Amino acid sequence: MLEAQHLCLSISGFSLLQDINLQLKPGVVTAIVGPNGAGKTSLLRLLCGEAKPSSGEVIFNGIPLNQWRPKQLARILGVLPQGSPLNFPFTAREVVMMGRIPHSSGLEKDTEIVDAALESVGGSYLDKRPYTQMSGGEKQRVQLARVLAQIWEADDSGDRVLILDEPTSAFDLAHQQLTLNVVKNFSQQGVSVVIVIHDLNLAAACADQLVMIDCGKIAAQGAPETVLTTALIEKVFNVSASIGVHPKTGSPLVIV
Amino acid sequence: MHRYSPVKFISLACITLVVSLLFGLFSGASDIPSSKIFGLFAFGHLDMDHRILQMIRLPRVLLAALAGACLASCGAVMQGLFRNPLADPSLIGVSSGASVGASSVIFFGGASLIGGGFGLPAIVMGAFVGGLLATSVVYRLATSVSGTSVATMLLAGIAITALSGAVTSLFSFFADNEMLRRISLWQMGNLDGADWPRVAAMALVAIPLILVLPRDGQALNAMALGESEARHLGISVEKLKRRLILLTALGVGVAVAVSGIVAFVGLIVPHLVRLLIGPDHRYLIPGSAILGAALLLLADTLARTIMSPAELPTGVITALLGAPFFVVLLLQQRQKIVG
Repeated sequence: MLEAQHLCLSISGFSLLQDINLQLKPGVVTAIVGPNGAGKTSLLRLLCGEAKPSSGEVIFNGIPLNQWRPKQLARILGVLPQGSPLNFPFTAREVVMMGRIPHSSGLEKDTEIVDAALESVGGSYLDKRPYTQMSGGEKQRVQLARVLAQIWEADDSGDRVLILDEPTSAFDLAHQQLTLNVVKNFSQQGVSVVIVIHDLNLAAACADQLVMIDCGKIAAQGAPETVLTTALIEKVFNVSASIGVHPKTGSPLVIV
Repeated sequence: MHRYSPVKFISLACITLVVSLLFGLFSGASDIPSSKIFGLFAFGHLDMDHRILQMIRLPRVLLAALAGACLASCGAVMQGLFRNPLADPSLIGVSSGASVGASSVIFFGGASLIGGGFGLPAIVMGAFVGGLLATSVVYRLATSVSGTSVATMLLAGIAITALSGAVTSLFSFFADNEMLRRISLWQMGNLDGADWPRVAAMALVAIPLILVLPRDGQALNAMALGESEARHLGISVEKLKRRLILLTALGVGVAVAVSGIVAFVGLIVPHLVRLLIGPDHRYLIPGSAILGAALLLLADTLARTIMSPAELPTGVITALLGAPFFVVLLLQQRQKIVG
């Protein structure tokens, strides 16, 4: 389990995050939503240990995050940042295989996992294609497969956590759907998933828990039905919206 | 793009290296019949051919091969570290710093060759110290509490290179004719000073380096994804950067010190190997080392035979052959992007 306790972050006098408390439990998909500049990415950076909080602490499986050994942490914490500046013509397979660097599970097993991870994002056909020649969506899928391969199996270091920053930004509808299903399936194996996502409807469709951030504070957190209200959306996003119900899934639908 | 199997490529490169070693040994101003090859190991009473082989040709081909291997594998590492296929080992200021060191020794030492210790001339030591000093300045400029910024390092490298260039120009400006000639000859890159102490100095650095660098291949692959990505894969990025910058500065520093600035080897060889076998640094680094050894050896052999008995500077040959080749590579890449 990944826990944020009283996280604050200020950089050169500007307070970016204030008193953030979160519990990310195994098997739960948490979507972080909020307007641009609210502090979503800063929060992710604290949660994955890339930035140090000014005060407060991130606890991962009972141990403060900064006390984990990097290699051991990498076996159970997968992070997919936004954008991937890869300038060398590695093939999709080679990129996904890099997800197995923290493990020493042997080539045979790694190959199996890489095959499965590529297939799960619908990227098997990319196998030998150089990364530098792929489309934006294809690159994003390959990177997602890499992070999935990294934490593909339960490890005795502890519960696994998957952190995704805007994983669907370059995807068409079909691939958005596919990715969200992959993420859901993954969480059902006991992985805590944290996902920053702009589209409120996508967030509502895939997340068990929504965390709405506004001006560096948590404006609301809980089940999508309770967080997505006309009043809150008006207050945080400054737009008047209507809330409907998805005819098939029953999850809330934000109509602007 | 079709890729060759790394194992096949490396074995072929090894064969090329052996052939070019033999070719280098038996070409030169004086004809030595190939039956004299055992003269390499002869001792006691030596005839002229044996002496040429042992004292002139062998150190020269070994120096060329070791320097080539060193420059090319350091180039592969630099390109990985800077995440840029067009990076060159001289980016970290080592070549230009070495230039200042060498020209200051020539300037202040005059035409006389003062010993620099370990049987090496002072100019070699001066170049080595200059190279390392410049790199450490670049490294310090780019390092803050939050770690070393590769982007800042690139810019600091450009600044230090410009500054060193100005200092070298100052030395040239005030130098007399003889000094001036020696400074510019040094800058062209030349292996004609090859002797056993230089080979020993080069081997002492190059051989451990060539064995150690490929171990960081996997970590460099992860670095290619991005620094934070590499960190999330469990790589200690700061330690990796510090280690690789130190090792390449040492490697390039010694290579430049013993041979001057031999252009293009560190840039083109890794680029070429990447085109042939792909970007995986675990094979790219050793592959570059072997091909770099063979190519610099061939270029040097060409440099000393093409106008025999006169010699051309080795760096001129590598640049003459390397630059057009590089342009062809660039054009090919452009076509790939456009088409």
